[in-house]
Amino acid sequence: MDALMAFLTVFTQPQLLLLVAAGTFAGVYVGAIPGLSVTMAVSILISFTFSWDVLPAISLMIGVYMGGVYGGSRTAILLNIPGAPSAIATAMDGYPMAQRGEAGEAIGITTVMSFFGGFVGIAVLALLAPTVSDFAIRFQPRDYMLIAVLGILLVGSLSSGSLVKGIFAGALGIGIGAVGMDPLTFTERFTFDIPLLRGGISFIAVMIGMFGVSEALMQLHNIDTPAIKQKISRIVPSFGTIRKHLPLSLQTSSLGVLIGALPGTGGDIAALMAYDHAKRVTKSPSRPFGQGAIEGLVAPETANNAAVGGAFIPMMTLGIPGDAVTAIMIGALFIHGLNPGPLLMVDQPDMFWFIVGALVTANCFMLLFGLTGIKLFTRIVEMPRAVLIPLILLLSIVGAYAVNNAITDVYWMLGFGVFGYFMRHYGYPLGPVILGVILSRLLDDNWRRAIISEREDLGRFFYGIVTSPLSLCLLVAVILIFVSQTPLWTRFRKKESSAK
Amino acid sequence: MTRFLIGAVSALSLLAGTATAQDYPAKEIQGIIQWGAGGSTDTVMRAVTPHAEEVLGGTIVLQNMTGGVGAIALNHVADEDADGYKLLMGAENPLLYKVMGLGDKDYSDFTAISILARGTPILVANNDAPFDDYPGMLAYIAENPGELRFGSTGPGGLPSVVTAMVEAVEGDLDVISVPYDGDGPALTALQGGAIDVMPAVLGASIEAIKAGNMKALAVVDVEANEFLPDVPPVLEFNEGYSTYLPWGPFFGIFVKNGTPEDVVAKLQDAFSQSAEQQAFKDLMATRGFTLMNTSGDEAQEFLTSWQSNTAWLLQDAGMAKTSPEEFGIARPGE
Repeated sequence: MDALMAFLTVFTQPQLLLLVAAGTFAGVYVGAIPGLSVTMAVSILISFTFSWDVLPAISLMIGVYMGGVYGGSRTAILLNIPGAPSAIATAMDGYPMAQRGEAGEAIGITTVMSFFGGFVGIAVLALLAPTVSDFAIRFQPRDYMLIAVLGILLVGSLSSGSLVKGIFAGALGIGIGAVGMDPLTFTERFTFDIPLLRGGISFIAVMIGMFGVSEALMQLHNIDTPAIKQKISRIVPSFGTIRKHLPLSLQTSSLGVLIGALPGTGGDIAALMAYDHAKRVTKSPSRPFGQGAIEGLVAPETANNAAVGGAFIPMMTLGIPGDAVTAIMIGALFIHGLNPGPLLMVDQPDMFWFIVGALVTANCFMLLFGLTGIKLFTRIVEMPRAVLIPLILLLSIVGAYAVNNAITDVYWMLGFGVFGYFMRHYGYPLGPVILGVILSRLLDDNWRRAIISEREDLGRFFYGIVTSPLSLCLLVAVILIFVSQTPLWTRFRKKESSAK
Repeated sequence: MTRFLIGAVSALSLLAGTATAQDYPAKEIQGIIQWGAGGSTDTVMRAVTPHAEEVLGGTIVLQNMTGGVGAIALNHVADEDADGYKLLMGAENPLLYKVMGLGDKDYSDFTAISILARGTPILVANNDAPFDDYPGMLAYIAENPGELRFGSTGPGGLPSVVTAMVEAVEGDLDVISVPYDGDGPALTALQGGAIDVMPAVLGASIEAIKAGNMKALAVVDVEANEFLPDVPPVLEFNEGYSTYLPWGPFFGIFVKNGTPEDVVAKLQDAFSQSAEQQAFKDLMATRGFTLMNTSGDEAQEFLTSWQSNTAWLLQDAGMAKTSPEEFGIARPGE
């Protein structure tokens, strides 16, 4: 009964309801602007809400978080600049849809699917939190390493055309991610004694440059073509469309919750893995992937919003943050006099149910704000290129500057933008570069941790993998996915289908 | 959000105000936090700043600037004008930059506004570890050389200093040292069984200890801690620790040397008032930090002795890249 009351707190107090709404609204727009991240917004809110009571402060933060994760897809679809790393996969099919005049439909389906994914995440948080967190903390460094290897294998599905070029792009990304001071030994890598490089290259700056600036440069080629007329007839997807994608969205949501609940991985990896999963299991997508497939939107958007609920799982049950935003929220709870830790759910179950309630509310507001104003947004794509190109560039520069308030990031962004332009020109896919940067540290750090833990003995390392059921499952998945991408497998499949 | 926008706008505009104490602060002050959002330094700084803003009658825009063990942030502030509009909000790490080869600047280039608080280290172990106390751990290491996995946060981090201290007192420990990005991830790994023992700061592990998710072996202090009265201090097991203890990480706010004295005084007053707020005291208590709130000569003395103790400890353990002697850091007691 108490749990129900705590769950309903948000709904019964108009002030809290308003704060969740305001937070979600702000979050959608913060998330949509590349460079302004949810992490940044939530940490500013800590000082801003310092003197408030804990419930209003948390309500506002949850709103921003939920809205922000969704907001990243906006600019990804409209301008091909992902507002946040977790929206990279969304750009791959969302932007082609906008180019066909279906931006409204793309945003509509994204919104509904984000809502769906968010809801699955919250449901798992509410019903299975202790089970999932027990499972999640069992992941050893070698398991994280295997997840990263699984991630690296996505290069195959992110590169249309030449696989060799895709592998090159992925390796380049891993190299970019390795620049800076190695966090485990504090040795400088690829810094050439330049102090500025010690902090590494801002991954967001690379992303904005590669996607945003290179897009602006590409559009210069056809500056005279008239702008794309947007169809605005259908925005809210039909029930039939949603039902058709229900099995896929359930799978990708579950994937999102799990990846989100792992303390070492978050929504960005979840979304990319979900995209790959969709590509693998969808027999006949609405259009080929990469050219505007609905499935290519459904998968990453359900996964990254499901990861929000997932990230709260270790936070609420163990006091371990599931990602950067929940790390800040733990700080906020401390500041407001609570002790987020394993005992929080025992001592103050109300707090848990209040957060679940606030998440549900934020998720509903996200649906509401997401579906309104779409027509206005699709106008952006209808703008003449002479206006659109400078706008993209301006947004990219402001975004890159906002990451660290550093002009160096703007130079990096522009540099990678020009580089990305030439890569596109010669048919090198950009997705794998970003994938490489995201996975670089995950792979490198965990491989080293794993092998150091086994006294640098490869025999012991493999023995560890085959004796742990979890590691073994991951290893089998790695092998299967790898084999399924080799010519051998394709021939085998062909033979099988012709035999039928 | 507005706060952020104000900050962004003011950062873009080139307001070159000449600071005199009467009109300080005449524009937004920037607080550069050395560590990432959500970490202990971040939480402490975000908690202490709002009240200091009220006292100052100005705005302090906080920004996290991570990388290079905090050296990026330190160098950033050191490169700015000494006008009191850039505050460095950091932890203990810079005092080891010189000996660890991470940079040629440290807090001696800065004036302390306030050393806010210090933490107490504690040795914690995974629940399945085959021992329950500190002597048991030492016995296990002696019987199973090279088997036990210790968490660390890289050279110069708290775990490495505590491990060096244990080795200085008890002799070499044959253990595997597994590096993590910070004590948060390492403590997570400890609960999942990826590492067996972790020297951590008490505040970061206290909730998990109380819940029985990990076991506390000993606090690395001269006496038992008021928040965990049942956990014995290491001094109880070996008198040798008295040479090095008390020792602990700390948080402080700094401005560049050469900042006008009246501006420094104003800032010191504001932050000292803020640190005396009950809400801040409560926060420090729940996180297991000891409030210090010192400035001026007292703070300087604390920094000097901390640096000489720790730098020589690392030097004697063979972890320092350059001898503290090179930088004129005196050996403790000399």
